[in-house]
Order: sequence, then structure tokens, then C-alpha cells
Amino acid sequence: MSSRWIWRLLAIPGLVWLAVFFVVAFYAIISVGFGNVTTLYEPVPHWNPLDWNVGYIWQAITNVLPGGDTWDTFLRTIIYVVVAVILSLAIGYPVAWYAARHAGRWRGLILVLLVLPFWISYLMRMFAWTNLLAEHGYATRLLHALSIDTLFQKIGLLDGTDWLGGQHIAVIMALVYGYVPYLILPLFAALDRIDQRHIEAARDLGASPAGAFWRVVVPLSKTGMLAGIVLIALPMFGDYYTPDLISGSPKTAILGNAINGYVQGGPDKSLGAALTLLMSAFLLVFMIYYLRVVRADQREMAQHA
Amino acid sequence: MALTGSAAAALAACENTTTPVAADAQSGSGKGILGDPTAGGPVDSAGIPLARRDYPVTLPRLQDPVASSAKPERGGELQIYNYADYINPEVIKAFGKQEGVSVRVTTFDTLDEAFSKLSTGGLEFDVIFSTPDQLSRLVGRKLIQPLNFELIPNLQKNVWDELHNPFYDVGPRYSVPYTTYTTGISWRNDMLDFDPSKMDQPWDAFWSKQAEKYRGKVAVLDDSREAPGMALMRRGVTDLNTENPELLHQAVADLKELNNKVGVKVSIADYETVPAGRIVLHQSWSGDMLGGVISYMPKGVKPDVLSYWYQKQGGPIFNDVITVASSATKPVIAHRFLNYMLDNKVAYDNFAGYTGYQPPITAIDTSKLFDDGLIPKTLSEAVVTREAYANGNAYLTLSAKGLQLWDSSWASFRNG
Repeated sequence: MSSRWIWRLLAIPGLVWLAVFFVVAFYAIISVGFGNVTTLYEPVPHWNPLDWNVGYIWQAITNVLPGGDTWDTFLRTIIYVVVAVILSLAIGYPVAWYAARHAGRWRGLILVLLVLPFWISYLMRMFAWTNLLAEHGYATRLLHALSIDTLFQKIGLLDGTDWLGGQHIAVIMALVYGYVPYLILPLFAALDRIDQRHIEAARDLGASPAGAFWRVVVPLSKTGMLAGIVLIALPMFGDYYTPDLISGSPKTAILGNAINGYVQGGPDKSLGAALTLLMSAFLLVFMIYYLRVVRADQREMAQHA
Repeated sequence: MALTGSAAAALAACENTTTPVAADAQSGSGKGILGDPTAGGPVDSAGIPLARRDYPVTLPRLQDPVASSAKPERGGELQIYNYADYINPEVIKAFGKQEGVSVRVTTFDTLDEAFSKLSTGGLEFDVIFSTPDQLSRLVGRKLIQPLNFELIPNLQKNVWDELHNPFYDVGPRYSVPYTTYTTGISWRNDMLDFDPSKMDQPWDAFWSKQAEKYRGKVAVLDDSREAPGMALMRRGVTDLNTENPELLHQAVADLKELNNKVGVKVSIADYETVPAGRIVLHQSWSGDMLGGVISYMPKGVKPDVLSYWYQKQGGPIFNDVITVASSATKPVIAHRFLNYMLDNKVAYDNFAGYTGYQPPITAIDTSKLFDDGLIPKTLSEAVVTREAYANGNAYLTLSAKGLQLWDSSWASFRNG
């Protein structure tokens, strides 16, 4: 018996796991989204694609179009995620760059600190913020002492004085806080892999330090950046507990909240499933772009090797 | 009042149809609801019984209740399905000891969640806590069983007369009342600089100019009936079970206005957030304020900072129910549990020792709670009186179409 069989056997647990917990589960969502409901409004999944009812998908689509029920929610979701990703990059890139290139003997410590947030569940970290940002919380007092709250009020980012009172900015900041470690780690790995000689070559050929950074380092870290962005943007799109905990107001509801609302209660579970499918399709477009970039990158590297 | 054959067939057809069934109702057998000729009451076009105070509903008896002579089951586990924090653990423990069984409580967040988990099967319970408006669904899906009231003598003995034969379950056949509550307004009288109860229309407090100062500290109940219902009452609508789309659209528009005015929050944690002062104006269930005083006051905060207002004419007031699951493995013990919860002392311990939700027990004199200083006078309106119960309004079963309307209105508000 060839050793190839052993490797294939080793893949079985993973494949079974994927089949049961992803393929079957996702097909169940599809069947509900394309299904129907009883007179008591219990969803009836249609497992056979020939029986599919497109009514709910159609309703979900018209709802996310301008003027529809979830149009505002959809726009808000995109704005939150885009702003949070940009802020995460602005914060995460310098940290990753420093850790990978300039940390010296602090490198080990910084890596430990970067992994530290993973020891505490996301939910617990958000709960911590509900205390820190409460009326007399430490963060609230610090932000007040630094006049950041009055500054934010002046430029219209903060409405009133209560950070937890349904503020867009608080939800975005919480998203950044929650997800930025997931961006830094792949970015660190990518920056760490860059051959020092590439940068030296750029300098030798007359590039300024900034020029070398923009023309050599940034392009070489593009895959890592994209991986980090995908890693944080996807869960942000599906997030619902961050707005729930940090705001709790419909004013900051995003698509995850809408799906949660449809699925948790009432007669609209099928609409919730349809909205889930719609969002998955939307995110798939980005995934395909990411996969193409990665593949092109790998091909290029193979050519160089 | 006998049910028409077509409606009966429609309800019978609920079980496995995938489309509204009013159209195929012609094949009716004319045998009452689900074959029970003694069942009846007003139904919607899909055959769902719609109990109203002046139109009582008799639910179909789909199986025989346990015999009066049946012996209590021995040992094992009694499985209870209930809201979280809605029963005193001490009371549960004492019951388990008395009957020689272990008792396990599983919790749900919303009745919709409970219903969908129950209807997928797989979950096996003996006792299910619910609300009257859910009964027709639960019976329609054969999830609960008829009761033998000879095993529950405390209903006649201890409970308010008006609940011996309730309009939502004539007989009664399936349920005993658990606790009563009203829906009103709670506020922190030490933090809010106005008194909602002094306003011409107290529900308007949420939309008032004064409330705008308290942005982020104003909340409505996270409930698809209660929050739109409040917006309806504010406009003077008295029918809380209206299925008029225009009224509901107005209610949603009113609720959305609260987003901009006060950044309104949506929550059912009023029993904790109001005593803690994180919310200063909340649409509330009366029991949550009494429960807040009993179990959730922070150190150093006096309970008389909590105030509660209830609309005495036509405000929401109702009761929850306890039922026995059709798949119960310990139906006799379950009956004994229902009887136990209606015991005068047990009901009092559950109420005043933990939940704050008042049982409709004749012997419990709530005025004594104020005299003993257990509950401050500022919460006197949180007490459910029998007069108010008799004159009150309630959120009752909606037709299938109405339910869809209310829920989509609610979703439209929740999505922001």
C-alpha cells in the first residue's frame, strides 16, 4: 500500500467536519431561504431545488435596494465595515511593521502581546467596553479629560455625551478594537517574510527610505494586507453583538442585526435565511477577488524561484 | 359555539401544509377543531382560534388527560422550559425534594424561539411556560396536552375567580395561570427631571422635549407586540390587536422618530438597567420593577428612586400560563408541579422572594408588601389589581396575516 493512501485517510476527519457543519448546514439555510412557511409561520425547507420558491430571495433583494426595508441597514453596514477596515489598517500596519522589522529584542514580547487578546473571548472584551464607556467609566473619563468627546461633538461624530447611547463612532471603534489583532498577525507574517535585500537594493538604487517603503515594502505586503482585510471584514459583515452591546439602538443596526431579528423571532425566518444567502453572495465576490490576487501572487513567486 | 367545518379542516391542515390553507378548506369533515366537536370559538381564515374577552375559545381536546388515579412517576428528571430568571430556584429545589425527582430548567429568550425549538421536535419537556396568545399554536401543533384538573385542586381553591375559566382557554383544558403583569412606564425619579405620570398622555414622555436630554438612556421593550403597542396607545388607539396596516405604519414611524430624538434602546433587561441607573426612562413590565427592588438594587441605592406608571383605563394587563407538554414523560409529576406553583405559600415565595411577578392568588395581599416596607410606595402602580385585570387590555392571538404585519413592522423599526 502506498503512503499516499495514508495522507488521504488523514484528510477524512476534516472533510467530514466540513461536510456536516458547513455543506449540510449551509444547504439547510438555502433550503429555508428558498422554502415556504406553514399557516403557523414555521419555515418549511424545500430540499429539492426543483421545488424552490424564489419569493423570499426576491423580497430580500428588493429590501436591500434603495427605498427598501433594509436599504439603510445595508448602507450602514458597508460604511461601518469600510471605515473600520481603514482604521484597522492605519493602526495595524505600523504595529506589524515595527514588530517585524524594528522590534529587536522586544520582538518576542510584542508577539506575545499581539496574541494576548485571543486569550479572552471577543464577547468578554466587548463587555469590558460597556463598563469602560459607561457614564463614569475609565475610558469615558479619560476621553473627557483629553477633550476628545467635545472635539467629536463639535465635528458631529458624537451626539450628546453618552458613548453607549447609540453612537455610530462607538460601534466603529469597538469593531476596530475587536478585530485589529486578526489583521496584525497575517500582516506581521507577510512583512516578516520580505527579504531585507529587496529593501537594500531599492536604497542602493537611489530610493529614499520612504520611497523604498512605498515602492517595495507595500507592494510586497499586499497579499498579507488583503488576507488581513478579508479576515476582519467577513466577520464584521456578520457581526451583530457588537452593535447590540455597544449601542443597543436600532440606529446602529447592521445586516447581522437584521438577520438575527428575522431568525430569532416572528414569522420571517425564511426572509432571514434569504438575507443570509444574499449577504454570502455579496461577500463571495470579494472572496473571489482575494483568491485571484493570491493565485497571481503565488504564480509570480513560483516564476522567481 | 361550534366551529365551521371549513375552518376546522384548515386548522387540521396546518400540520403539513406549506401554503396558506384557507383555499383548500372545502373538504372539511365538520367535526369541530381537529376532530373535537366540543371545541370552538372565533378563528381566522387559516383556522387559528382568536380568543377575545367577549369571544371565548374552547381549545380542542386532542388526547385524553392523565387519569385521576394515576400514580406519580418515580425518580428521574422533571424537565421544565421557561424564560430565564422567571422562577425562584429555591421553590424548584423544594419541589424536587418533596417529589423525589431532580428538576432541570431549560430557558428560552423569546416565545417565538421556544415555539420553533419545540416544533422541530427533539426537545423533551414535561412543563412548558408560555402566554395565552400562544396556546392555539401550541395546541395546533399538538405540543401540549389536556390537563386533569382533579390533580390541580389549587386552581379552584387559591386562584382569583376570574381565572377559573379564562376566555383564552374555556374549561380550562390546557393551562393554569402563572403570574400577572401590566405594561407601563418605569423611570428613575432621582435622575429624570420630569414626572411622566403627571403628563396628559404619559406615553408621550418618550417623545417629549424633556426626554431629549436623556439620549441613550431611554428604552422600549424588545418585544414585537409591546413596543408598537405603546406607539399605538400614544395615538389613542384602544385596540391593541388591530390589524390595520395604516395604524401599524404610523406606529413604526413614531418608533423610528425615537431613534433620532433619544437614540432609543431596545431591551428587556429593565429589572437591572433601571435600578443601576443606566436607563432612566423605560417601557416596562410591572414585575420587572418589583423584581428589580427584590433582587437588583445596587448597594447604596434606595428602592424608592424607582417609579412606575400604568394606564388604568385600557392599559395592557395580562397573565402568563403554565402547561404540560404532550410528550411529557412525567405527566403526573407535571400536574403536581402546576398544583404546587398555585399553592399560597409557594406562589408567595416565588413572587416576593425572587421574580417580582405577582401570582393571581386570592390570599396574597399585596398592600401588605408596602406596609412591610418590602416595596416602596413609588411603585404602588406596579401592583396588579383585580379591578384593573377585569377592565384591562391585552395583546392576544393575531390572525396569520396580522402576525405577519406586526412582525414586519417591528423588523422595520429594529433594522433602523
